[in-house]
Amino acid sequence: MEAASADASALLAIVNDAHRAIDDPARTEQLARHRQRAALTARERIAYLCEPGSFQELGALVRPRGGPDRDAPADGVIAGTAKIDGRWCAVLSQDFSVFGGSIGELGSAKTSRLAHMASVRGLPLVMLLDGGGHRIQGGQNSRHFAKAGPFFHELARMSGWVPMVAAMLGAGFAGPTNYAGMADFVVMVRGQSTMGLAGPALVKAGTGEDVTVQELGGAEVQVDRHGLADLGVGSEIEALDAVRRFLSFLPGNAREPAPLVAATDPADRLGEALLDIVPANTRRAYDVRKVIDIVADAGSVFEIKPTFAGNIVTSFARLDGRPVGFIANQPKRLGGMLTSDACDKAAHFIAVCDAFGLPLVYLVDVPGFSIGPAAERTVLGRHSAKMIHELGHATVPRISVVLRKGYGLGYFAMCGGRSFDSDASLAWPTAEICAMSVEGSVDVAYRKDYESHPEPQRRRQELIDAMRADINVLEAAGGFGVDAVIDPRRTRAELITLLAQAPARRANPLPPKYRSIAPI
Amino acid sequence: MSAIDVKSEISGRVFEIVARPGDRLAEDDPVMILEAMKMEIAVGAPCNGVVKQILVGNEDSIAEGQVVAILEAV
Repeated sequence: MEAASADASALLAIVNDAHRAIDDPARTEQLARHRQRAALTARERIAYLCEPGSFQELGALVRPRGGPDRDAPADGVIAGTAKIDGRWCAVLSQDFSVFGGSIGELGSAKTSRLAHMASVRGLPLVMLLDGGGHRIQGGQNSRHFAKAGPFFHELARMSGWVPMVAAMLGAGFAGPTNYAGMADFVVMVRGQSTMGLAGPALVKAGTGEDVTVQELGGAEVQVDRHGLADLGVGSEIEALDAVRRFLSFLPGNAREPAPLVAATDPADRLGEALLDIVPANTRRAYDVRKVIDIVADAGSVFEIKPTFAGNIVTSFARLDGRPVGFIANQPKRLGGMLTSDACDKAAHFIAVCDAFGLPLVYLVDVPGFSIGPAAERTVLGRHSAKMIHELGHATVPRISVVLRKGYGLGYFAMCGGRSFDSDASLAWPTAEICAMSVEGSVDVAYRKDYESHPEPQRRRQELIDAMRADINVLEAAGGFGVDAVIDPRRTRAELITLLAQAPARRANPLPPKYRSIAPI
Repeated sequence: MSAIDVKSEISGRVFEIVARPGDRLAEDDPVMILEAMKMEIAVGAPCNGVVKQILVGNEDSIAEGQVVAILEAV
């Protein structure tokens, strides 16, 4: 017995040595290059994000059997489960110090297994990405590659079941971008992270184009211009904080309730400033983010895609401690028009909120969809349908509040009136709801009339005045298009009271079909 | 210090030029107001800077993406 126990101790020591060998203190030399380009190692990123001592590593000792990449600790990806703010999550962190974070055969298997565990256990999946695509040193041959791997299948099936988050913390071309493309939330570090299907070297080889890393896939491009990622931040720490913040609004999985926090902001707090923020003059712009800030619980607003398609604002926030999703037209940008980018942004946000049980609060001030050749070139007709499609499938509570303009199909897309069976359809006294702008409709329908008049401008104004007399909030309420005209200052209290009455989910019986076909 | 193009995000007509050469602007401060979609839509400074040149005049028609002013970033 004694001998066996001595043997076990010796074997345990070997295992412990193997664990020590892959840990950062034993890899100072290998990590030196990584430290020149990043603030934190792959393991330090996990340590910062997760609760101390909670990380349970999966496949720590995997190592390729032979070949040029046999010295690949953990095969370049550190994976496991850990607690973030008290909740278990599945976490993977690509290790750039191991063959540039490229994806090896065992690392790939580990990643797939982690995703499977997240799916079975109903845990959020957090991907800390800093690597490349397939590891060429591990085998560029059909025998290896023909198997492919089940990771993407797993991600597709997990979508809407558990929150999936990607922090792009450095190199992100190829594989990491494809992973992140499946995520619900993607954050990049400005000046450090990249995203794209192929990096500059492959682009040069394939198309002959010369382009720098940041020009091709930096945050200014992929966050601000393309909206591929949701947020650009200044450091790795901020990126990890953003991941934590995003998750704080969502349940662990779709069958759990969204996390409530103790409310410290009074539910009946009046928003006195709301009377002044929105100008009654429909030509004047304002910043709708101020409205959200006043209505939501103090300090609770977390804007998603703040630098992309600024003509619509999509923000997580809390109302009386309950997470909700605000969707608001932004008159300050493009007059709040709905463009293809805005529709995509809203559609994705609706899907995330609906998947994880966050009620939707629409703040409507929409002049309509963008028009003209430039808008048509973006295939707006399909992108607008996407926004409508997502709302049509939503089963979470939804409330619309018309702050000012509710014009045309944009009013429908913003859940106005009875369009999508809102739990409440509210309007401020400044609401102006109609098929299109008054001036526009006079110009379209009565141009001949006023142009043939001896005083065309006077006649045009008469027509405008006559039409405007029928367009006001009392008419909207008189025809029961809205449920109530509310005092803007009481918007917060009204929303909280109404949401408290709405069931967390509604039945949304569909015809006996297998799936809907999204307009994509 | 580098010269930064101020571009219009929308096609429209210049309704009012708010900033003048030499003015110091913070990011998002209006450089001019366009009239588009029956609204007054501000063209904002893309970054903190000093207005170097205004390239359009009142009532001018502006195309989407057109450079309407030059800022010197600070």
